[in-house]
Amino acid sequence: MKISFLIHNAYGIGGTITTTFNLAAALAERHEVEIVSVLRHREHPNLTPHPRVRLRALVDLRREKDHPLFGRPAKVFPSAEYRHHQYSELTDQRIAECLADIDADAVIGTRPGLNVHLALQAPEHVARIGQEHLTLDNHPPALRTALRRAYRRLDVLTTVTDADAASYRRKMRLPGVRVEALPNSVPDPVLPASDSTARVVVAAGRLVPVKRFDLIIEAFARVAAEFPDWQLRIYGKGEEQERLRAQIETLGLWNNVFLMGAATPMEAEWVKGSIGAAASNFEPFGMTLVEAMRCGLPVVSTDCPYGPGEIIEDGEDGRLVPVGDGAAFGAALLDLVRDDELRRRMGRAAVANAERFAPGPVVARAERLLQDAVGARSGGRRGAPADAGGMHHTLVSQGHAARDLARAAASSALRTVRKGRR
Amino acid sequence: MSTVRTHCSIDADGRITFRLRPPAATEPRLVLALRPRKGRPEETTHTLGLAPHGDDGEFRTVLEPEPRLAEGRWDVYLLAGPDDAGRERLRPGLRDVRALVDGGRRDRPSPVAVRVPYTTKDGFLAIRAWLRTAHAEAGPVTVADGGTTVRARLHGAPLSDGAEAVLRLRGGKDTLLGVPVRPAEDGCFSFTVVHADLVGDGGRVWDVFLRPAAGAPLTRVGRLLDDVADRKDVFVYPRVTEGGSAVRPYYTVDNDLAVEVTALG
Repeated sequence: MKISFLIHNAYGIGGTITTTFNLAAALAERHEVEIVSVLRHREHPNLTPHPRVRLRALVDLRREKDHPLFGRPAKVFPSAEYRHHQYSELTDQRIAECLADIDADAVIGTRPGLNVHLALQAPEHVARIGQEHLTLDNHPPALRTALRRAYRRLDVLTTVTDADAASYRRKMRLPGVRVEALPNSVPDPVLPASDSTARVVVAAGRLVPVKRFDLIIEAFARVAAEFPDWQLRIYGKGEEQERLRAQIETLGLWNNVFLMGAATPMEAEWVKGSIGAAASNFEPFGMTLVEAMRCGLPVVSTDCPYGPGEIIEDGEDGRLVPVGDGAAFGAALLDLVRDDELRRRMGRAAVANAERFAPGPVVARAERLLQDAVGARSGGRRGAPADAGGMHHTLVSQGHAARDLARAAASSALRTVRKGRR
Repeated sequence: MSTVRTHCSIDADGRITFRLRPPAATEPRLVLALRPRKGRPEETTHTLGLAPHGDDGEFRTVLEPEPRLAEGRWDVYLLAGPDDAGRERLRPGLRDVRALVDGGRRDRPSPVAVRVPYTTKDGFLAIRAWLRTAHAEAGPVTVADGGTTVRARLHGAPLSDGAEAVLRLRGGKDTLLGVPVRPAEDGCFSFTVVHADLVGDGGRVWDVFLRPAAGAPLTRVGRLLDDVADRKDVFVYPRVTEGGSAVRPYYTVDNDLAVEVTALG
């Protein structure tokens, strides 16, 4: 098959970029694969694409910021999408042209706005696969309304968790669209796993509020008080950096908690630790959890929607604690810090259990979905079996649609009122 | 741009194994070159023969703990052919340096030799090396109003009763400030610097040393014995005010301990 990925910006850093590069690389072993990056802001991507994966960009921000269409807001890319401000009539045009000319059997969109482009503009013979790396419940109502209309024209919609797939099936009426979970995959580690002896807790991610690194630091204060030779290392950069630095100072933790800066790849850093930590309020999947587990670390994570609960088996290969509960988080860390044998046992279980996120099983699933969708398109059919939900499902999803419309209208009215007050 | 990624791993003795797949190589070699000071020619290099390992095109070489590397930053190059022309600077793959993480726990004989493979700011593989007759490894630093207490451990020399910490004013002036040390077990000791003794007119920097015995030469206090090659922005201590100045201990670009005094207002 010829497969094209459509991605926001392949030159940045983030879970969607990593997982797209991983999936593209694995598919490239048997298929012709390209990654189309809508935006480009630098010469080389942070991650090196597989040598057989072609990478091209549609709008080069280094040169085209002065383009007259660049300053005009996008019309196809939905205005309620998170990244609408980075899109323009120029991206509308380039994406449309790209799709019209595309020489692929299947195109995979990697975020809601791009899935909309795909749904509306892909040629008839091309299978349309929309990927959702966020969750339906977290989308604003106006975006849900826009997606509800457009997503009917997809062949396949993949989410990263079963919980989110269930949510789409329940709350959106998408007849003929196959909705299925396709978890992110994490490449097989190259280095030997951690031997669980290091007195180091490792956390990684963009330093943004939703990741709650402040909660990990607060929780780690309890560990440092009891075990002063343990360290917490936080990898990543972002807007929270200075606030976290100040928190470390206020808590007097500068001998124990370290902001390490960004590290790519993380594998060599995970294996220096013996416990992983993640405290997000919201985590659609949780790539870093799987990465840490594959490197032999049991992970203490908040049980936020939806990823961690589908990755960690509480008490067996890691720990799940309530969202926002620093005391519970600290207690879970301490259980593992105190007990070398528990850490070792859970670390070994983590390696075994996280194997289901290896490229092998995940890519096999992706390949099956793609083949079915391409086969159906070439036979003039769509991806999914007939809608099995029946009347009840229709009523439920219509109820959600009506509520989203009302909420979207209310919030847009509110915005208008607020603007008026300025 | 080079696409050859070089994996390396280091053991607790400083032995480094390099693994890479040179594209087309006959008798490939790895060259380590000590980065010269700006404007100076390159003088010191080590050349290591690369040998095939397995049958999938991978080559390996091992840099043994001896000979010791001179202190500084060593860049890593590939010579793909038998002649010395056309060497290519290598980019890092995975750096497995986990054996270094708790390196401060072991006692080091003299000279204290340290190697840390790292990635340069511009994305190349390099090795940070330190080579010192003796070394005082800084541990926890307690910064409080009025004073800073440093716990440290001396490696490569015995700590005698006459030992003292010495702060030396940077900038050529021979201004030294002696501070008594409190010895503990295994060469460990601590000392407290009173901030009021450091402040003066305007900004200044004090470099921190240990004089292990009366009349002995100064040994630098720093933090070298773990996996962190560039510590300055990672081990960050708070700033406290003293009179009209701000006082902050910090690590220099060479991972040595210093105290910075800046005038406020």
